[in-house]
Amino acid sequence: MAKNNAQRTAASGPSSRRPFYLILAAIAVLGIVAIVYEKKTSTHRTPEEMNAEYEALKQKYANAGPPQPYVRGKADAPVVIEEFADYECPSCGNFATVTEPDVRARIVDAGLAQYKYYDFPLPMHGNSRQASLAAACADEQGKFWEMHDQLFASQDRWGLSPSEAQVTDNPTPVFQSLAKAIGLDMTKWQQCYDSKKYEARVMANMSEALRRNIDQTPTFFVNGVKIAGAVPYDQLKQAVDNAAKQGPMSAADSALGNIISHH
Amino acid sequence: MKRMVLAALALVGVFVALYLTLYKLGMIGVLACGTGGCERVNTSQWAQFLGMPVSVWGLAFYLVTFIVAFVGTTPRQADNVGLSKLLTAMCGVGVLFSAWLTYLELFVIGAICRYCVVSAVIVTVMFVVSLMDWRTRRDERASAS
Repeated sequence: MAKNNAQRTAASGPSSRRPFYLILAAIAVLGIVAIVYEKKTSTHRTPEEMNAEYEALKQKYANAGPPQPYVRGKADAPVVIEEFADYECPSCGNFATVTEPDVRARIVDAGLAQYKYYDFPLPMHGNSRQASLAAACADEQGKFWEMHDQLFASQDRWGLSPSEAQVTDNPTPVFQSLAKAIGLDMTKWQQCYDSKKYEARVMANMSEALRRNIDQTPTFFVNGVKIAGAVPYDQLKQAVDNAAKQGPMSAADSALGNIISHH
Repeated sequence: MKRMVLAALALVGVFVALYLTLYKLGMIGVLACGTGGCERVNTSQWAQFLGMPVSVWGLAFYLVTFIVAFVGTTPRQADNVGLSKLLTAMCGVGVLFSAWLTYLELFVIGAICRYCVVSAVIVTVMFVVSLMDWRTRRDERASAS
C-alpha cells in the first residue's frame, strides 16, 4: 500500500500536472473567447437598443390607421385566413417554404379561402422591418407574393444563421438581388425602399398584431379562430373546413371579434 | 489521468451551460418566433426545472463535478475509491437527466437544440470515463492489498 502510494506520488508529481493545468487553462480561455464572440456576433445592436428603436416606431405610428394586409384569393370566399408573420423568423420561413405552397394550391387558389398576410416584425429581428418594406415596394408593382417567397427562401443570406445570429447588418444588397430576380422596375423599387414609403403600412399591420395580443410568429386566424405556430397543412385545412361548415362570419361575429381583439 | 479527463470535460460543460444560461437570461422577452431550434427548446415550458432554468441546473452540475474531479486529481486523493463512486453516481444522474431532456426535445417539443446535444454527449462520455476510473481504482486497490 505504501509502495503503491509512493509510486503514484512520483508519477503524478507537480511536473506531470503541468499539462493538465495548461489544458484546463486552454479550455477556460477558449470558452470565454467563444462566449464573448458569440455575444458580439449574435446581435450587433443590443436588445435594449433594438427595443428602444421599436418603441419609438410604435409611438410614431400609433395612429397609422387600419391595417392593410396583402390579400390573395377570391374576395367572396367563405373563409378568411389571416397570417401574422415576421420575415426573419425561422419558423415563418419553414411555413412559407414547406407548407404555404400547398395552402395556396389547395385552399386559396381552389377558392376555399381568401388569404391575408400581415407584417409582424419582431423587435429582436434587426432586418425584419427592412424586409417588410422591400416586400411592400414589390406590392406596389404587383409582385408582393413573389417577393414574399424570395425573402423567406433566402433567410439564411440576410436574416439569421443556423445558430440564430444575425448574418448581416445591411440586408439591402440581398433585397436588391431578389428584386432584380423577380423582374421589378429597379429604379422605382429602390426609390420606394430608400424612402421607406410604406413604413406606415408595415407598422399599421404590426399594430394590428399587438392589438390581437399575438405573442408568437407565425400566428393564424381562420375566420377569427386563432392558431399559433407554424402548423402543418392538415391542421390549417381542418380549420378552414370547420369554418366553412359554420358558414361565413356574420357581421355580428366580426364586430364582436373586433371588440374582443381591441382589449 | 481519467479524473483529469473528467475535470477537463466538466469544464467544457461549464461553458456550454454558461452560454445557454446567458442566452436564456437575454432572451426572456414577451414576443417569440416559435422556431425549430434553440429558441423553441429554450423557451419551452420544459426549459424550467424546479423553478430554475435547466441551463442553470446544468451549470451547477458541471461546476460541482469539475470541483470534485479536480480535487480527485490531487495525489492525496489518488486512492480514494469513494470519490470515484461519487463521480460515477453524479455523472449517472447527469446522463439520466440528459436522456429525459433529449426525449422531450425529440418527442414532445419536436425541436433539437445543438448545445443541449453537445451537453448530453459530454455528460455521457463523462459517465463512461467515471465508470472506467472507478473500475481501475477498485482493481488497483484489490491488487495492492
